[in-house]
Amino acid sequence: MEIDARPKMIGARVQRLEDPRLLAGQGRFIDDLNLPRMLHIAFVRSDHAHARILEIDSADAAAKPGVAAIFTAPDIAGLWNPIRATSRMADYHATELPVLAHDKVRYVGEAVVAVVAENRYLAEDAAEQIMVSYEPLGDAIDAIANAKADAPLLHDDAGTNVLAARTFHRGDVDAALAEASVRVSGNFRMHRKTPTAMENRGYVADYDPGRRALTLHSTTQIPGIVRDALVEMLDIPGNRLRVVAPDVGGGFGGKGALYPEEVLVCIIARQLGRPVKWLSDRLEDLMTTNQAFDEHVAAELACDGEGHILGLRAEVIGDVGAYSVYPWTAAIEPVQVVSFLPGPYRVPNYLGRVRAVATSKTPTGAYRGVGRPISTFVMERLMDMAAAKLSLDPLEMRRRNMVQADEFPYKTASGIVWDRAGFMECLDKVASSYESLRRDQTAARAQGRWVGIGLASYAELTGLGSRIAVAPGMPVNTGTETATVRIDSTGAVSAYFGIASQGQGLETTLAQVVAEELGVRVEDVDVIQGDSAAVAHGTGTYASRSTVLAGGAAINAARAVREHVIKAAAHIFEADEGDVDAADGQVFVKGTDRGMSFRELARAVYSEMGRLPKDIRENIELEATRMYDPYFGTTTPASHLAVVEVDPETYQVTVQNYVVAEDCGRVINPLIVDGQVHGGVAQGIGAALMEEVVHDGAGQIQTASLMDYVVPTAAEIPAMQVHHLETVLPDNPGGFRGMGEGGTIGAPAAIANAITDALAPMGIDINELPITPERLFRLIDGK
Amino acid sequence: MEAGGMIKLTVNGTMYERAVEPRMLLADFLRHELGLTGTHVGCEQGVCGACTVILNGDSVRSCLCFAVQVDGGRIETVESLGTVDNLDPLQAAFQEHHALQCGFCTPGMLMTGVDLLRKYPLATDQEIREGLSGNLCRCTGYENVVKAIRSAVEAGYGD
Amino acid sequence: MKPPAFEYLAPVSLEAAVAALSNEDAKVLAGGQSLVPMMNFRLLAPSLLVDISRIPDLAYITEDGDGLRIGAMTRHHAVEMSDVVRQRFPVLHAAMAHVAHLAIRNRGTIGGSLCHGDPAAEWPGLVLLLNAQLKTTKRTIPAGDFYHGALATDLADDEILIEIQFPGLAPGTGWGFEEMARRSGDFALAAVAATICLSDDRATEVRIVVIGAHATPLRLTAAEGLLTDHVSIGAAADAAMQEISPDSDLHASADYRRHLVGVLTKRALAAAWKRAA
Repeated sequence: MEIDARPKMIGARVQRLEDPRLLAGQGRFIDDLNLPRMLHIAFVRSDHAHARILEIDSADAAAKPGVAAIFTAPDIAGLWNPIRATSRMADYHATELPVLAHDKVRYVGEAVVAVVAENRYLAEDAAEQIMVSYEPLGDAIDAIANAKADAPLLHDDAGTNVLAARTFHRGDVDAALAEASVRVSGNFRMHRKTPTAMENRGYVADYDPGRRALTLHSTTQIPGIVRDALVEMLDIPGNRLRVVAPDVGGGFGGKGALYPEEVLVCIIARQLGRPVKWLSDRLEDLMTTNQAFDEHVAAELACDGEGHILGLRAEVIGDVGAYSVYPWTAAIEPVQVVSFLPGPYRVPNYLGRVRAVATSKTPTGAYRGVGRPISTFVMERLMDMAAAKLSLDPLEMRRRNMVQADEFPYKTASGIVWDRAGFMECLDKVASSYESLRRDQTAARAQGRWVGIGLASYAELTGLGSRIAVAPGMPVNTGTETATVRIDSTGAVSAYFGIASQGQGLETTLAQVVAEELGVRVEDVDVIQGDSAAVAHGTGTYASRSTVLAGGAAINAARAVREHVIKAAAHIFEADEGDVDAADGQVFVKGTDRGMSFRELARAVYSEMGRLPKDIRENIELEATRMYDPYFGTTTPASHLAVVEVDPETYQVTVQNYVVAEDCGRVINPLIVDGQVHGGVAQGIGAALMEEVVHDGAGQIQTASLMDYVVPTAAEIPAMQVHHLETVLPDNPGGFRGMGEGGTIGAPAAIANAITDALAPMGIDINELPITPERLFRLIDGK
Repeated sequence: MEAGGMIKLTVNGTMYERAVEPRMLLADFLRHELGLTGTHVGCEQGVCGACTVILNGDSVRSCLCFAVQVDGGRIETVESLGTVDNLDPLQAAFQEHHALQCGFCTPGMLMTGVDLLRKYPLATDQEIREGLSGNLCRCTGYENVVKAIRSAVEAGYGD
Repeated sequence: MKPPAFEYLAPVSLEAAVAALSNEDAKVLAGGQSLVPMMNFRLLAPSLLVDISRIPDLAYITEDGDGLRIGAMTRHHAVEMSDVVRQRFPVLHAAMAHVAHLAIRNRGTIGGSLCHGDPAAEWPGLVLLLNAQLKTTKRTIPAGDFYHGALATDLADDEILIEIQFPGLAPGTGWGFEEMARRSGDFALAAVAATICLSDDRATEVRIVVIGAHATPLRLTAAEGLLTDHVSIGAAADAAMQEISPDSDLHASADYRRHLVGVLTKRALAAAWKRAA
């Protein structure tokens, strides 16, 4: 049998390996897990935003049928060690992270009492009987007010509500603004969002008293981080504590932090000696899953007469909710608003200042895009405002300021370094339809239709290595991932990772990578992920890192194993290693018909006594573990173009068309990359047009159901065109760039610019999102 | 019927007889009593569509139905469509077009798709989108779900 | 969100159902699409549910002269697909497309929607528009007398709605149905439905109903009175805006609802005018 050409799996539209079980209803999600003697938790949650707990009366509840136990903070006091999200950032204050509220509650929805019962129905029955009395404390709902010195303190030990403050600057922005011929400014507001994965969070803790070992099944994106934290919190050594994510129904960052309920199920399972499950319902999800994007930005852009940027200044207040989330800290989103604000442009003078202010709301965590959706919204609006003032086309405004190919590596005004990537190429690609869209718009306007076109360009850092910390001195290392590739005694290939998949298709893309490097078929590779026991250290999936880091580690590990496959085969075939190759699950001598399957090779190496001499056999390792650190990050740019139509009477906005051009480096699976863009853009459209977590003045959450927190359906999302450009490949083993977050980064800005463009005859700026029909009515009718 | 009454129903062609409390939701009955965990629960409010099953030939929200109400009924869940080794044409279309990512909304999408394909001509993609507007998805942006349904229309699925 | 415990009866006769409803804390269970979500949220905790879906002969669409009689247990989807509804009351057919989503329409009933009485739902407005009579186990109530407020009807606790009678429309009646919702299938921020008869290019029979912009569905009689020739549509729409008392909520302010009613009235009247023969 002659096999010459190696099949190429990288770049192929491989059907996903996870699909058959998910399609056939054979997935294993957290609520599908039922362990013998398992108990269920329902919580009593605070209905006060900021209050002292006076008394908890659970006597009637304890008597209800099926109740096994009731826990409040004092009941678990000696059973766990508290943890904080630490950081070496100057001007940062960590907060405690209660598992059950003890002296006070700091947001509506905070867990106060845990009722443990035979099933969730009975647990809720008992929870209804519990009375908690509160003494309201000072109003701490508003971020702007909370930043003032005399505001009621959410955390006395912090001494302030400003949990983090950071400034980035370059040059002399005051001078630049003073001498500029064009200045545009605005007060920009992005309202609070919640990730709204279709599967709610859930945890099952299973404690084995015989082995004194705990397994936590969790809908987590970060199994390694949770495991490492629980080791400290529960005094269980890491070799007896395992965190494993089953099939997970979406995360988007909302499942990428440590949660109080996650810790509590472990404490209770160990205490009661029975498995314990808690599944969030949708009401709890909308109240307690980490929220995001809640930012106030006052910004100003200055240009010369030709539209070249001279300076950029921004003052940002991030509303970060009641606690500093673990491990990312309350700074994770607000800091990125100012560090990424200069965008993909040359900004010679810059001052960006941010304060992360605690409020009596759900804690803010990392949601897809993390700060960059807001920074892009603000900068892209300013670019359009400046273009309008100069009577420049927005496309030309971007061309004149975007970092050019010969300027890379380019250090931005905030110190971020962009490496060579397709900034202008992406802009040119969306521009290719621009002229004809403008002609269509002119014709539509002549008919009295309000049609608008909006552009948004951005760049982000993905695949971050150890040189770039999201926050200095964070308690975790985000810069590495580890992969183990193993051929077992049957010739089957397994690949183990510390990352976790919630829909990104990592079981398939990482299999493609390993298969390509090792010389097997994609379907021969079983990817084990989402399990803290899979590798010695891993953190998980967040910040668009899995392809670069896990992919890089996979390549290195697979290459190492391949070397040994060749070495073993060369010995068996009595050939030179240079004449031996592996492809499609076969190892063979090139140009001959001498070959064997991986199964036969494995049998020879492992199971056939005497097949290989002792000294050869002992030095054949058909298993390799590699840790990969990209050190820096990769730059991922994109340009988005949106076409919208605004009903001139009802002010309903329809997105007619959406185009994305991005450079994500070498594409492993085009299906999957397209899918990530589609999903991100849909979430970005939702963020722009309809999604908003609303609290009333007393801190009561108003958006407590999916009829009130409104996410887009298929009818509100347009068909999209997505273009992937590969320019220069970045310097990592696969040439990959991360790309999962781009949709939410570009879409709010593109939509805001498009609606502004549609309303241009009225001179209305869309600087607040979501731009609901109600808000448009206020702007247009000027009331 | 009182608390703890017996119900009899056919699910995916198999007859079951069980005692249920009146308040047990059909979704919970299917998932936990019968172990058919393919049907998922996302909101318990009838909005997200993840729990959609087919009852007596019509797609319904199993989270808005008590098991006792369907005594004598005939239910089809996602498990009735195909198996891991033998996906049905609609499931195959979803796979081909990458119409699922996390898979949580997918069973509901499929059962809604089955009913839409039987009942509506779905001549335009806008009609498909409106038909799917009762099934929320946060992963796919719907682009490929529409393509998968379109290909099923063209293949005559549900005719 | 699991519902609280309750007792369950599925009687097979109206008499037995009425008798069961004499229990103080009992509620009728029809399609459950409005009731069950509220129970899952524990906003409602009836001690007894009386499932009327086993009572025979409550689901039908029957011709009655030029009109129709529709049984209270008729599912929205049956109305949506009915040829005779489409022919005789095209406004009903058009409105059904706005009722939630297919899975809800397969299960939800016309009777359930009417008795739940959400002012932003389509059916309460439609029965008012079409001058329907609501027949219960005790009496027949004109649609105009059925609603007292949001989620509040004239039904007694032990009274069951069994049939809705739609008198025929005059030949050549034009209709319009305009709804604005945040998303496809959501409750209306506002909706306006209208029927018009024309004679020599002037409106004779006019009925205009607003949905979702008032505590109950409301006939806009002042607006109706102003509609004469085609040009008067604008004035009628302006009058409509003044007749309503909309609420402000999470999704829309009273001002915006009022604005929408003006726009939707104009569009509904223009469409009805065009369709009138």
